[in-house]
Amino acid sequence: MSTVSWITARGLFGRRRFLLLFPLPAVLVLLAVLSRALGVDPGEWGPPVLVGLGLAVVLPVVALIVGTGVLGAEIDDGTVVHILTKPLPRWQIVLPKLAVATGVTAVTVAVPLYVAGVLAHSVRLGLALAAAATLGALAYSALFLALSLLTRRPVLLGLVYVLIWEGLLGNFVSGTKVLSIQQYVIALADRIAPTGLLETTVSVPVAAIMTALVSVGFTVLAVDRLRSFSVAGETS
Amino acid sequence: MSEPTGVIHDIGYQRYTGPRLGRRHVFGALYLHGLRTAFGLGRSAKAKIFPWLVLGIVTVVAAGVTAVRSQIGEVVMTYAQFADNMSWLVIFFVAVVAPELVSRDLHSGVLPLYFSRPLPRGDYALAKLAALGSALWLLLGAPQLVMFLGAAFTTTDGMSGVWNELLDLLPGLVYAALWAVVFASVGLLIASLTGKRAFAAGGIVAVFLMTAPIVGILSIMPSRTVNELAMLGSPTALVHAVGRYTLGDLLIPGGQTEDQIGGFGPVYVAAAVLLVAGCVALLLMRYRKVAAR
Repeated sequence: MSTVSWITARGLFGRRRFLLLFPLPAVLVLLAVLSRALGVDPGEWGPPVLVGLGLAVVLPVVALIVGTGVLGAEIDDGTVVHILTKPLPRWQIVLPKLAVATGVTAVTVAVPLYVAGVLAHSVRLGLALAAAATLGALAYSALFLALSLLTRRPVLLGLVYVLIWEGLLGNFVSGTKVLSIQQYVIALADRIAPTGLLETTVSVPVAAIMTALVSVGFTVLAVDRLRSFSVAGETS
Repeated sequence: MSEPTGVIHDIGYQRYTGPRLGRRHVFGALYLHGLRTAFGLGRSAKAKIFPWLVLGIVTVVAAGVTAVRSQIGEVVMTYAQFADNMSWLVIFFVAVVAPELVSRDLHSGVLPLYFSRPLPRGDYALAKLAALGSALWLLLGAPQLVMFLGAAFTTTDGMSGVWNELLDLLPGLVYAALWAVVFASVGLLIASLTGKRAFAAGGIVAVFLMTAPIVGILSIMPSRTVNELAMLGSPTALVHAVGRYTLGDLLIPGGQTEDQIGGFGPVYVAAAVLLVAGCVALLLMRYRKVAAR
């Protein structure tokens, strides 16, 4: 574990507010357990819990908070200078941070999704959801990490993507689904464990290729932006 | 011992002798400043991007709805439904504005400066709350006014048509006010807990979005009472349920109002009042003690 990833992990876990992330997955598990215990048909509670809550809200929101936190918090504090002045290639800064963000997001989201998937259908669905959520965590983290280098307001721009692009337009304009990480995750999970619970219009090859493209592309972009990064003051 | 040689010069400092405006003016100034902050007025172009993006989208939607209605004659959404359909944008707007209003002050540690004025602690919180509420009401009300103007100028029934439209518009504006009050109090409370705007925005969105699916789950539970009380699960649904109970036809045309909330309408109204009162009380408590830094 490199020093940069160590610092990043400590920066994330060392603050009390990070504990605020845990109610989100807890609600997911709680609802799944409650529905299962009361004997509701999985066909009814599966889609709202697994997709509506898990993949559409918990995954992007956790990825947004963690992904913009690993680098954005240091840029905000100005402490990013300490890392930038070390004789490290930029990719050795971006990649460990991306790894930490992906790992934390994946663990926080995949575990409750696995539990919910097992309760909804089978162990296979649980594993499929966990695997797809991990890939989604990578793509989202790369996107939000790059955003925190492209703009001074990464969280708001990320919220525009999550709320307006994926949430609002995804419901009305079906074409935008081709450019939505959420749909890729659903497509991948449905491919690994075909059940009637997950529905999407994006084909699996498109989803796989686009997920890889998003992950690699935004990571390369982040490395490139960090190469010519200028430390500016507080925005107005 | 030599004599002291220093002299204290009178360099003309003067005390302020003009009128002192007092508490009401401080409150008013803070409210006006908050309202301007909400829309980024008097600030750089960067601060205007997100509020005006949201405002632009809702206005475009309202213009589109008006155009469809005047050309084809089909009512896409009523005034009251407009707020419901824009709920995601309202959440986003709260996530943009609430941290601007309170988290910045916490972050830069200027609260002691505010409270060294004749400004009681509660007034600061209430002024910010009023500013956020007004901004939200304007956000939801202005597009409804656009829809009203479009309908009023294309009506074929003369003045009575305009009057009927007005009677439809007013409950819509009241409903928008309900949205504004509930969302402002919950959002501002969350934002006041942290000095980091990024975390405040994330927290607000998380709370509003996380609670929405709870309603979905509760409404398919195998108990009719739980189903009918399901909308207590999230602020968005709570407001909607109060609207269903009080507005009825205006919100759900076609009279399918009786299901979903059953006879629990008064419970929802009470819950909404309690939620707002609770959030305001917690907000006031939050500002009883603030750290200097």
